[in-house]
Amino acid sequence: MNPRVAVALVWGLLVTVALILIPPLLRDRLPDPMATHWGPGGADGSSPLTAALTAQVLVWVVPWLIALAMALRGRVLVRRLGRIYWCAAVAFWSVMALGMAGTMLLANLDVPDWTRAELPGSHVAALVLVAAAAGALAGFLGRGGPDQAPAAGEQPPSLRLRPGERTVWVSRIGNPWLVAVSVAGVATLSVVVVLGLVGAMPGAAAGTALPALAITLVVALATASLTARVSEDGLAIGFGPFGWPVRRIRLSQILSAYPEERFPSQVGGWGFRGMSGSATIMLRGGECLIIRYRSGGQLAISIDDAARGASLINALIAERVEQ
Amino acid sequence: MLLTLDLNDPRPLHEQVAGAIRRAIGEGSYRPGDRLPPARDLALALGINSNTVLRALRDLRDEGLLEFRRGRGVSVAGRVDGRALLVQRLRDLLEEARRHGYDRDDLITILEELS
Repeated sequence: MNPRVAVALVWGLLVTVALILIPPLLRDRLPDPMATHWGPGGADGSSPLTAALTAQVLVWVVPWLIALAMALRGRVLVRRLGRIYWCAAVAFWSVMALGMAGTMLLANLDVPDWTRAELPGSHVAALVLVAAAAGALAGFLGRGGPDQAPAAGEQPPSLRLRPGERTVWVSRIGNPWLVAVSVAGVATLSVVVVLGLVGAMPGAAAGTALPALAITLVVALATASLTARVSEDGLAIGFGPFGWPVRRIRLSQILSAYPEERFPSQVGGWGFRGMSGSATIMLRGGECLIIRYRSGGQLAISIDDAARGASLINALIAERVEQ
Repeated sequence: MLLTLDLNDPRPLHEQVAGAIRRAIGEGSYRPGDRLPPARDLALALGINSNTVLRALRDLRDEGLLEFRRGRGVSVAGRVDGRALLVQRLRDLLEEARRHGYDRDDLITILEELS
């Protein structure tokens, strides 16, 4: 078993046991119902004692089991970014679950009834900070080795170019789900516009809904499909149905290219992922084109027919060096 | 889709583009039902006019290799039959042989030596 999963299993069990065993010991000193929600003016929500304590356990146990299942059955721990996300998320949420239960118990301890329970804002802020620090530390400790350090004798795929010929590579992909999101965006947008025109919707509501929908629509459209072209000029990546905007990468910037299988669970989801230097443009899981820059970073693009594209890039680079 | 154009080929450009697409499909880049990249992308990559690419695509549709569908773009209709692919490759070979100073009969002699 992966040591990260073993640690998460043991630590998670400890957290679960603490959440199940400790609150009932304090049962006599807690009001029933107890305060479970606070607003600016103090406690503003309550629930029966047993329900509140059960919820505290479930809020930890369910995400914990999902995280364990993802690690055991999925590919989340295969790559460094996935390991960092996973370790940080488990550590962050375990501290948050413990802290939320702890601060809630403290606030309710020895009060005559739930409306008197007070939760200082500083406790909440401190809890979030500690949990974030725990997450960052766990992500750092659990990051593991770097991904695909260029193996000794690694041979990037290539092909033979003949003089007097021009060879180019063109490919595209689209994600029907992201297209569906765009279509839903357009539909909602038009409904809002029509409602606004006939006056059925208050102006203020339409005023906040319109920009949000418009942004969703533009982002979804721009990331729903992708075209890639490789020629003597380098690699050009066009976003959206019209292939615009275009991101161009000159051949002189590229060290090598290779194809690899990558999945959204390894890079943190769909869309534009990661930071410059280890970025991914992920529209669907599967074949990706990986560009290794001379500056040391890399870029991954999910695209069909990536092996041929990578071979052509490597061949063009080799030809450039010879000239 | 990997496309190769011979810059010294005297044939009309649209015929060369059609040949390049036929080769790419024949070599297994695309299976029947797969969508081709938009003509605009092909034209941009090759540095030629979109209309030339469209003409090549229409020629291939008339040949039965491609299929145009409204709203779905251009997709591969059938497999390139072995003979068409061989003819394409032999034509390319003949062109290359001519550049090196060999003619058709020389090629036939070489072929007979091979078997």
